[in-house]
Amino acid sequence: MNKNLKTGGLREFVLWLVRRRQRFRVSGNSMQPLLQPGEEVLINPAAYLYTAPQPGDIVVVIHPYQPGLRMIKRLTAIGDGHRYFVEGDNPAESTDSRSFGPVGLEHIVGQVTSRF
Amino acid sequence: MLNKIKSAVKATFPAPEVQAHCDGPCGVYDPASARIAAEAALSMTKKILALETPAPGNKEAMVAYHNTLSRYVAIKEEQAHIAKEELLVLWTDYFKPQHLEAYPDLHDTFWKAAKLCSATKVGVSLEDATALMDAIENIHNIFWATKNRDVTYYTAS
Repeated sequence: MNKNLKTGGLREFVLWLVRRRQRFRVSGNSMQPLLQPGEEVLINPAAYLYTAPQPGDIVVVIHPYQPGLRMIKRLTAIGDGHRYFVEGDNPAESTDSRSFGPVGLEHIVGQVTSRF
Repeated sequence: MLNKIKSAVKATFPAPEVQAHCDGPCGVYDPASARIAAEAALSMTKKILALETPAPGNKEAMVAYHNTLSRYVAIKEEQAHIAKEELLVLWTDYFKPQHLEAYPDLHDTFWKAAKLCSATKVGVSLEDATALMDAIENIHNIFWATKNRDVTYYTAS
C-alpha cells in the first residue's frame, strides 16, 4: 500500500502545466496522517483509461449520491462487477464505502500521483 | 526554485477542494442536538403534569386549559421525535465498526435511548423523560471519548 506520497518534482509540475494533472486542495481529516487539511495534491485524470485501479491507490471520487461532492479516498478493495471500495485512511473521521457502498469507475475522477 | 513557483501558484490560483470529511461536506456531529430536544420534551412532560384542571363550568378557563395542554402535548411529541432522529443520525452515520469494538453495548445503548424517545413521545412519564436524559448523557460521554475530547456534559435548564 502506498503509505507515502511523494512531493512531485519537475516532471509532475510540467505535466500539470500541460494539463495532464489536476490540482486539488484537501479539506478535512479523513486522510490523516498521510494528508493534512490544506495540502494540495495532483491527480492524473487519465490514470485508469488503460489500466485498472488497484487496491492501495489514492483516488479522487465523486460521491455516488451527491454528484457535486468530490472526495479523496484510498481504494481498499475491488468487489464484484468492478465496483471499488474506497475508505479514508482515518476511519474514525471518514464517511466512505462503509456507508455509501462501493463506487463504479465512472465515479473515479483520477488517481492521486503526488503532493503538489 | 520549483518550490517558490509552486508557492506562488498556490497563493495566486486556489485549487478546487476535495473533501476528506466525514459524511460529505458537513461532518458536524454533536449529541447536544439530541440533548436539547430531549430536554424540551422533559420540560413539556413536567408542565403537563403540573397543569391544574380548571373549575367545572368556567368555559373560558376550560378553553385556555385545553389550548395550553394541546400545545404542551404537541411540543412534547415533536421534540421527542426530533431527539430520536438526532440519535439515529449519530448511531447510523457517526459511529463506525471500530467504535463498536471499544463500546460493545453501543447498539443496545442507542436502541434503548430510541425506545425512551418513543416512550416520552407517547406517554406523560417523568420517569421515561428523565431516563432519556440520562441515556443521552451516557451517549455524550461515549461520543466525545471516541473523539478523544473532554467535553463536559451540561443541560440548558
